[in-house]
Amino acid sequence: MGKIERLTGDLASAIGRERVKTDSDITDRHAVGGLAPSVVAFPKDIKQVKEIVNLAVRDGVSIVPWGSGTKQCMGDLPSRVELVISTEKMNHMLDVDVANLTITVESGVKFRDIQARLATQEDRCYLPLDELGKETDDIICSERTRSGCFLPLDPPFGDKATIGGIIAANSSGPRKLLYGLPRDMVLGVRFVTPKGEIVGAGGKTVKNVSGYDVSKLMIGSFGTLGIICEMTLRLLPLPERMETMILGFASLSEAARFADALLRTKLIPAAVEIMNAGAVDAVCAKAGISAKGATCNVAVAMEGFDEAVGRMKKEMAAMGERFGATARAELDEGGHNPFWLSFGNLRVMDKEKSNDILSVRLSYPISEWEKIYAICDETLASEGLKHTMVCHAGSGVTAIDIMPDGKDRHDLLIQIIASLREGCEAKGGQLTVECAPSQARKSITTFGRPGAVSVIMERLKKAIDPSGIMNPGRFFSLTQQ
Amino acid sequence: MERGELLTSLKDIVGEENVLSSEMDLALYGYDASLERGKPDVVVLPGSTEDVSKVVKLAYRAKIPVIGRGSGTNLSGGTVPVKGGIVVHFSHMNRIIEIDIPNRTVTVEPGVITLDLQNTILKKGLQYAPDPASQKVSTLGGNFGENSGGPHCLKYGVTTNHVLGAEVVLFDGTVVWLGGKSPDQASYDITGLLVGSEGTLAIATKIMLKIIPTPEAVKTMLAIYDSIEDAGNTVSAIIAEGIVPATLEMMDNLVLKAVEDSVHAGYPMDAAAVLIIELDGMADGMERQAGKILEICKRHRVRDVRLAKSDAERAELWAGRKGAFGAVARLRPSYLVCDGTVPRTKLPEVLGKVIQIAKKYDLPIGNVFHAGDGNLHPLILFDERNKEELARVHKAATEILQICADVGGTISGEHGIGTEKLKEMSFIFSESDMHFMRDIKSAFDPVGIWNPGKVIPQRQAANA
Ligand SMILES: Cc1cc2nc3c(=O)[nH]c(=O)nc-3n(C[C@H](O)[C@H](O)[C@H](O)COP(=O)(O)OP(=O)(O)OC[C@H]3O[C@@H](n4cnc5c(N)ncnc54)[C@H](O)[C@@H]3O)c2cc1C
Repeated sequence: MGKIERLTGDLASAIGRERVKTDSDITDRHAVGGLAPSVVAFPKDIKQVKEIVNLAVRDGVSIVPWGSGTKQCMGDLPSRVELVISTEKMNHMLDVDVANLTITVESGVKFRDIQARLATQEDRCYLPLDELGKETDDIICSERTRSGCFLPLDPPFGDKATIGGIIAANSSGPRKLLYGLPRDMVLGVRFVTPKGEIVGAGGKTVKNVSGYDVSKLMIGSFGTLGIICEMTLRLLPLPERMETMILGFASLSEAARFADALLRTKLIPAAVEIMNAGAVDAVCAKAGISAKGATCNVAVAMEGFDEAVGRMKKEMAAMGERFGATARAELDEGGHNPFWLSFGNLRVMDKEKSNDILSVRLSYPISEWEKIYAICDETLASEGLKHTMVCHAGSGVTAIDIMPDGKDRHDLLIQIIASLREGCEAKGGQLTVECAPSQARKSITTFGRPGAVSVIMERLKKAIDPSGIMNPGRFFSLTQQ
Repeated sequence: MERGELLTSLKDIVGEENVLSSEMDLALYGYDASLERGKPDVVVLPGSTEDVSKVVKLAYRAKIPVIGRGSGTNLSGGTVPVKGGIVVHFSHMNRIIEIDIPNRTVTVEPGVITLDLQNTILKKGLQYAPDPASQKVSTLGGNFGENSGGPHCLKYGVTTNHVLGAEVVLFDGTVVWLGGKSPDQASYDITGLLVGSEGTLAIATKIMLKIIPTPEAVKTMLAIYDSIEDAGNTVSAIIAEGIVPATLEMMDNLVLKAVEDSVHAGYPMDAAAVLIIELDGMADGMERQAGKILEICKRHRVRDVRLAKSDAERAELWAGRKGAFGAVARLRPSYLVCDGTVPRTKLPEVLGKVIQIAKKYDLPIGNVFHAGDGNLHPLILFDERNKEELARVHKAATEILQICADVGGTISGEHGIGTEKLKEMSFIFSESDMHFMRDIKSAFDPVGIWNPGKVIPQRQAANA
């Protein structure tokens, strides 16, 4: 009997036959970069995950943790894909403590279900509930509070992603400007280590310095240090009022002057996004909003007390005129929520337009945003490459989807990415390839130069995963075996 | 390595005048703000990253402990050299290296005093949010080491939420930069792991911090109560109502009296408890929020709510809170602060139990703490020379931490584990949790030079 057959049998007796799949339709659905696993396991809780990992350790089989697969194209290709552990069946909200402003959930819980659970009795929610309702009908509606809360994150694929995947990939969105990153929300985690032990850190308190801050290490580790099974997250009261204003400008420099001036006022916007025309048009069309993108646009999310949002709107409209805005669209809550959900799905829409989509994300010191945006936009435009661009002004991140039009532009793309990466790294930044045709994957690394910190990352990975079974090669090619 | 040789080598690195080795010096560096005592072999005062790197390289080769020290105000024994070794005191590395306003960052050496940084950047309309009550004395290196909190951390988060990166010296003297001005990069969050690791994984020689604009408006209120339970219930009611103020601090009667005797902040001496509630942000809507809070206070039988009418009045209210530990310390020769933290909804229940413990062990216990965060600070007052009393103090402290752990809380919210809470680690961590932390420690410290005897208890003998 081969290694995998024996493992499959032992897995079945450990966690139940119905939770262990080798059917090719299922293994194919869990392929990473063309590599399909031999087995997919669907544990029901952290204890079962532990049993699975112990068997994998025994047999030296590599493990790829799987949430909903929205981000499997990120990261380097794992060097081996044998066993996928899906968190799909670990989808329980273990403790919803709105009075304490914390929630504890299993990692397979969908982000949208968390937001829906925290909505008010009148269905005010941080996501557009009516749209979500079509896809899922098991959102729990009892025990809602009058004022509501929300999990202050707005990652891409907000309607599909699981919370475990979001945290493991350290995924965030435009509104981190006001609320911060996953590292600011995660209060505690429970995970299974590559040695097959259940480990917990942190808890339900917002302050905690007991022992090492292990949660921080797990956030953004791309499943290379363990399988995150449960986590406790910080909540905030739902903003009293949520609205968006989109201002169109004839040029980048005008948009930049407006955005930078806005960020210097005492106003507190939740997001200040620079978007090119293609991005605005795609996002608005999907969200059912009639606005049309100008050459360069600034979309501002405003979330807070009624009076504060009112004042922001008034002052921003006046500022817009002063800085030469050519168009202005205002979205109330009914438009705000679909707009930002659709914003997070821009990649999905762009993918539909091109099979060879290449997506990159640049991060850099915040003051560099205009220069970076300009270089990227000009380089791509001069080669006639269609692209959407969004830039979190004030947070130092730009995301670009390049959509080549059929012709073979492979070499050109590789060359462009390399030069943009060089420019970004020269400023102390990083260019991450988030999605690429498999041919291109072979010629460009996902993360670029790992830098001096890789010394420590290697040491940590070795100490925590000595046999190198957890997502090998996924992150900066750590422990390629 | 022989002592003579060690001293000579260190003098070669940092200069004769920056190596302290007299009995008097060693005694001075043998303690911090905790009850723990120890004695280093030698103290060095480095002037640069290069100095630190060379000292660490030497210590690594000779397998001598290295203990980083800022101002020694930590309350858990974090800087006490319990196994001897070299204390690296950062008093000379106290420069603000860069204030980068466009990128909203500052880069400092670890010896910069927290309040000095604050005062420097306030002049530019910006602030560094974490504000430990000890900010006049504590260093940013110490804040980094302990992941310190402070009253405003309720809204703004603790030290780790404001550290963007650091230059650190690793066990073999290698110097690396972690994180930096690009706030959101793909990497293991090593910076996040090092903040709060109490100098047991690496030493920071430069720290990059986030600075934010000062708020447009601030409103500070003093709510006065005739019962501690009412004050505690107000805290969870405010949060449950969907309001997250900038601060929600609480002081009980014992503390109020002590503060009035020494600081004269204008607190009522006969109240059972007061809350300092502060709102900040955009001015719009703040009046209405204050009104809501007033209503909640009234619902919980508040005696009176006073509003600070000027900056001077506001400063006075805060002077009282920030001077509270010092004021209480004047009542008896010694005090021990428990740093137990609970989910905020458990606050009234736990406060009640702390009062019972004070009775049970016949010890005066004062409470002054970050109520909004659920971060208690029962201050147990005693006389260290009375051994029998000291034993009761330790029992009471352990019992308080057990209560916090039992309601889903933790044994330290901001003061750290150090040596003081090693034995209570098992209240919240399993052996496998601690095993994982030991794996982390082994990656950063293969020969065990970094601040030995802190944070993680020794592995239990198999049959012990
Ligand atoms: C009256 C009083 C009030 C206090 N109030 C608060 C409060 O409100 N909130 C709060 O959180 N704490 C408070 N504290 C505790 C204490 O002030 C904080 O822990 C503070 O951060 C310690 O700073 P320090 O410079 O004194 O550090 P030290 O005590 O010198 O060192 C603290 C720890 O950090 C490590 N360390 C020092 N420098 C470095 C470095 N460069 N790199 C790595 N590690 C390093 C040390 O080894 C040690 O483990 C209070 C203490 C007192 C006495």
